[in-house]
Amino acid sequence: MDRNSNFYTFLFVGVMIVGIASILAYTSQTLKPMQDENVKNEKMQNILSTVGINVSRDEAEKFYKKYIIEELALTIDGSINNTISPFSDLNLAKELKKDYKDQHFPLYIADIDSEKYYIIELRGTGLWDAIWGYISLKSDFNTVNGVSFDHKGETAGLGAEITKDWFKESFINEKVFNDDGKLVGITVLKGNNDPTNSDKDDHEVDAISGSTITGDGVTNMIIERLNNYLPYIKKFEIAQL
Amino acid sequence: MLEDYANLFIKSIFIENMVFAYFLGMCSYLAISKTLKNGVGMGFAVIFVLTITVPLNYLIYEYLLVDGALKWLGPEYAKLDLSFLSLIMFIAVIASMVQLVEMIVEKFSPALYGSLGIFLPLIAVNCAILGGSLFMQIKDFSGISEAAVYGFGSGVGWFLAIVAIAAIREKIAYSNVPAPLKGLGITFIITGLMALGFMSFMGIKL
Amino acid sequence: MRLRNYKINKKKSKNKPLFLFIGKNSEPLFSKKNKKLLSDPLDDNNPITVQVLGICSALAITVQLKPAIVMTMSVIFVMACSNVIISILRNLIPNRIRIIVFLVVISSLVALVDQFLKAYAYDVSKELSIFIGLIVTNCIVMGRLEAFALGNDVWKSFLDGIGNAFGYGVILILVAFFRELLGSGNLMGFQVIPDFIYDMGYENNGLMLLSPMALITVGIIIWIQRSRNNKLIEEG
Repeated sequence: MDRNSNFYTFLFVGVMIVGIASILAYTSQTLKPMQDENVKNEKMQNILSTVGINVSRDEAEKFYKKYIIEELALTIDGSINNTISPFSDLNLAKELKKDYKDQHFPLYIADIDSEKYYIIELRGTGLWDAIWGYISLKSDFNTVNGVSFDHKGETAGLGAEITKDWFKESFINEKVFNDDGKLVGITVLKGNNDPTNSDKDDHEVDAISGSTITGDGVTNMIIERLNNYLPYIKKFEIAQL
Repeated sequence: MLEDYANLFIKSIFIENMVFAYFLGMCSYLAISKTLKNGVGMGFAVIFVLTITVPLNYLIYEYLLVDGALKWLGPEYAKLDLSFLSLIMFIAVIASMVQLVEMIVEKFSPALYGSLGIFLPLIAVNCAILGGSLFMQIKDFSGISEAAVYGFGSGVGWFLAIVAIAAIREKIAYSNVPAPLKGLGITFIITGLMALGFMSFMGIKL
Repeated sequence: MRLRNYKINKKKSKNKPLFLFIGKNSEPLFSKKNKKLLSDPLDDNNPITVQVLGICSALAITVQLKPAIVMTMSVIFVMACSNVIISILRNLIPNRIRIIVFLVVISSLVALVDQFLKAYAYDVSKELSIFIGLIVTNCIVMGRLEAFALGNDVWKSFLDGIGNAFGYGVILILVAFFRELLGSGNLMGFQVIPDFIYDMGYENNGLMLLSPMALITVGIIIWIQRSRNNKLIEEG
């Protein structure tokens, strides 16, 4: 057949498209469950790591079911929307684009040895792109129990160090409210007088050298997100009294 | 609102410069930067194509490919996720747009075609173009205008880079560069130094 | 300069049988010429430092050794497969749309790699993010398809693909090796510079982690290669 005729060209293209599309669709269909599983398990792994439970990705689901007793989707006035499952329905990247009054705020409650922990999802902007993570508070809603961070494209070796243990550990036992009961969050700051981070009442942790902007991103993300949970915390405290 | 666009624009030109921060489009950047005239021609062609393909691919991605994008066809399509096709779709859109632009330019503006024409076919395999679309995919833009601003900004950033290096290369021809470093080697090192300079833009926010 | 390397290998093979590696007048599988196909791209005809192809997707992922190695393996896979596929189809592809056919074949292979990485090597795929997709526009792949696979038999094309992908990978891994070693004192994520050297006052060079140093490192590699191998020096 003439390789330069229009008919041959169309025939070739047709066969090629059908062949390639079916191969791709088949692999995508077979691998999709595993990919989704990876994403889901990673999220569970991150949530668990803030309450001090470090498990491999394969075991994340088992421990998640064991320790996380409640998943709540809060509205801006602190009430609970029961129609939404925060784990699977809420995508913070999409929520952040909405107006505050339309957003939902995920809150996970863990119960470990009858001690309750409240885990709040974070998301903000670093130097290059999005950064996100989780912060867990003890039942006084003030003391940080643990954090986990991740990022899309911070500089490896500099901004990307926020995922490292030494940085995350420095948040532990810091307080997010000051003595007057005002929410101040935690500031990532270079050159504070406390490089070993032994002062847990200064609301500050030591920054990573060479990544000021990523650090500022972490600072802003924590205060901005926590602020939205204030109404819920108020309600909660009133209920406690 | 306008501020957001300005911010995105500045960011895509200086901070996330395609060449200096991500090394995209390096092949044509190195091959066509020997003279300033060619550099300018190639730079304009890249601006042109990026400004068209990024928003176009944004529409395709948002309304055809992404998880749940086919909602508008009816609720039974809402579960479809065709994002595994995005790579092929993007490259097909880019290749055909380049062809189309080439034909249109040739028909309506032979003068422009004369200066831009030879660069257009090269663009289909310029990583900066596909890179623009792929970055668009992970950047979660809120609308087509944001995608367009990003595409235009990245194009301008690339233009700046190639014009700058072309001008330097024209001058460096008169310098005494060690023989093994001539041509490619010195271009790499100069680009590296320029990238260092561009790093000082980091963190600018309007 | 780019085109020079393309055309040399373009022989007419119009009327040869489809699968030449079962052909009759076959030379030994690893004849001298075939070995050259493998070894040439490692030095004399290196895709990055000599042919100036495929730099785009290469440098951004050389901060650490591990992503560089995964990238190399992905490129080897994509190049070997696409070279073989195009070589098999070389007598069937309509000439007018051959570039589009190349693009489609390459991008589907890349999409496959991407899917597999997401399923089986999730952490690495997160690190490489869009740079896996950018293999599509990696000019080496396109360049070798046009210059070699379209005019040579399957086995030769396979070797050529592997050879060029290796040549590309060698530079990638070399750059990543120095950047990770000098920048963070690690290799493959493990600390290799012992603590006592740090105690003596050694510091990691944070500059190596920034993108400009990738370019400068490649520039230095080119310099070294060309002072060893004088015939690569450019005129003017």
